[in-house]
Amino acid sequence: MSFLVRFWGVRGSIPTPGRTTKRIGGNTSCVDVRWGDELFICDAGTGIRELGSELMASAAGPLTAHFFFSHMHWDHIQGFPFFTPVYLPQNTFHVHSPVRGDDAFHKLLSGQMESRYFPVAFRDLSAKILPQDMDGTRKEIAGVRVTCFEQRHPGTSWAWSFERDGVKVVYATDNEIDLTLPDPAAVERDPQQFRRVPPGFVQFCRDADLLIADGQYSDAEYPKKVGWGHTRATTLVDLAIAADVKQLALFHHDPLRGDADVDAMVSVCRERAARFGHGTFIFAAREGLELRIDGRR
Amino acid sequence: MPDFEFDSGEASMTSLQPIPMVRVRTFTTPHVLEMVQGPDAPRTFELTGDRLIVGRAVTCDIRVPLGEMSRQHMRLDRHQGGFRAVDLDSSNGLYLNEIRVKSAVLRDNDVLQLGDVAFVYHEGTT
Repeated sequence: MSFLVRFWGVRGSIPTPGRTTKRIGGNTSCVDVRWGDELFICDAGTGIRELGSELMASAAGPLTAHFFFSHMHWDHIQGFPFFTPVYLPQNTFHVHSPVRGDDAFHKLLSGQMESRYFPVAFRDLSAKILPQDMDGTRKEIAGVRVTCFEQRHPGTSWAWSFERDGVKVVYATDNEIDLTLPDPAAVERDPQQFRRVPPGFVQFCRDADLLIADGQYSDAEYPKKVGWGHTRATTLVDLAIAADVKQLALFHHDPLRGDADVDAMVSVCRERAARFGHGTFIFAAREGLELRIDGRR
Repeated sequence: MPDFEFDSGEASMTSLQPIPMVRVRTFTTPHVLEMVQGPDAPRTFELTGDRLIVGRAVTCDIRVPLGEMSRQHMRLDRHQGGFRAVDLDSSNGLYLNEIRVKSAVLRDNDVLQLGDVAFVYHEGTT
């Protein structure tokens, strides 16, 4: 068996519909990862509305799914109230959170549905929406080992790894890797030099068959965006090389970036990987793409 | 009295008449798959119907009799006014713009590779 990964929203920060983003897509973050009948949903940006429509059209019976949020910033939750399956009583959703108490994802998720923000209250959703603690950083769900890793982002964010039978998919968005480098200023002095990402995160991504990661900024853009919580795409390349990642999907595209700009970013990243002699396949995540992820044989 | 008249523009504004509703003709062009690499390329295939199969078998809607093509290699499903391509568990896979995919919603000028055969998808107007 394999993981099936579908991209429903790949844009960062704010939805960007329009002619210039038509091919890549303008919906904000949402990816689903499936192993057999198990459905894992990463983030609930505006892309999740379309996932909901697809599930409504294809579901033969009650639906169960697991939510894994990177964090609770708008572009990762704003589609949730428009996810139709949460309005049906036969469905069950588990909201897994590495954080407890007032900051638990289940609790924060309900906040955006207070009447001042949205007409339907969270408690009025008919589906069973259940909070689940991670109890550490790993758990197993139907044979899939799920692991999380705390990232560098304002207010913090979490990366998620899904592994089974030697196949590994990592979802790691909204992470300012550049701020975690041992000497961030060295990149300014020599952008061509290989950047050593801290070993903890390299290990988390180690041998991923697919790494979906935020590489929102170009080298030229990043100095003006330090502290905003996103990284240089070129730094992501170095992470993928260090972790021996098989495929790297550039994700969380900047809202100012049109399709042609995304293509240019991919080219820059591919050239960098080639210069370091690594065979990581780099591409841009785009809406409507479904990948079958097999292990390395 | 000045020897010119000041044109405030009011006269021309008040003389404007609303344009009556007119029947607008719409022009539609079909979605097209253009074979750019393969037997007898270039060839074009208009995508009519809601579901088409591309492959080596004689029953396929678009038949390409080459060894690297599976008997039923790819299905094209109509999707939101366009098409979605689905790999039918082919031996050599379906590649969209170099990415190996299980399925993909197609956009204008996407390149699909099936074995040695390459198609470009041209989005029509519907």
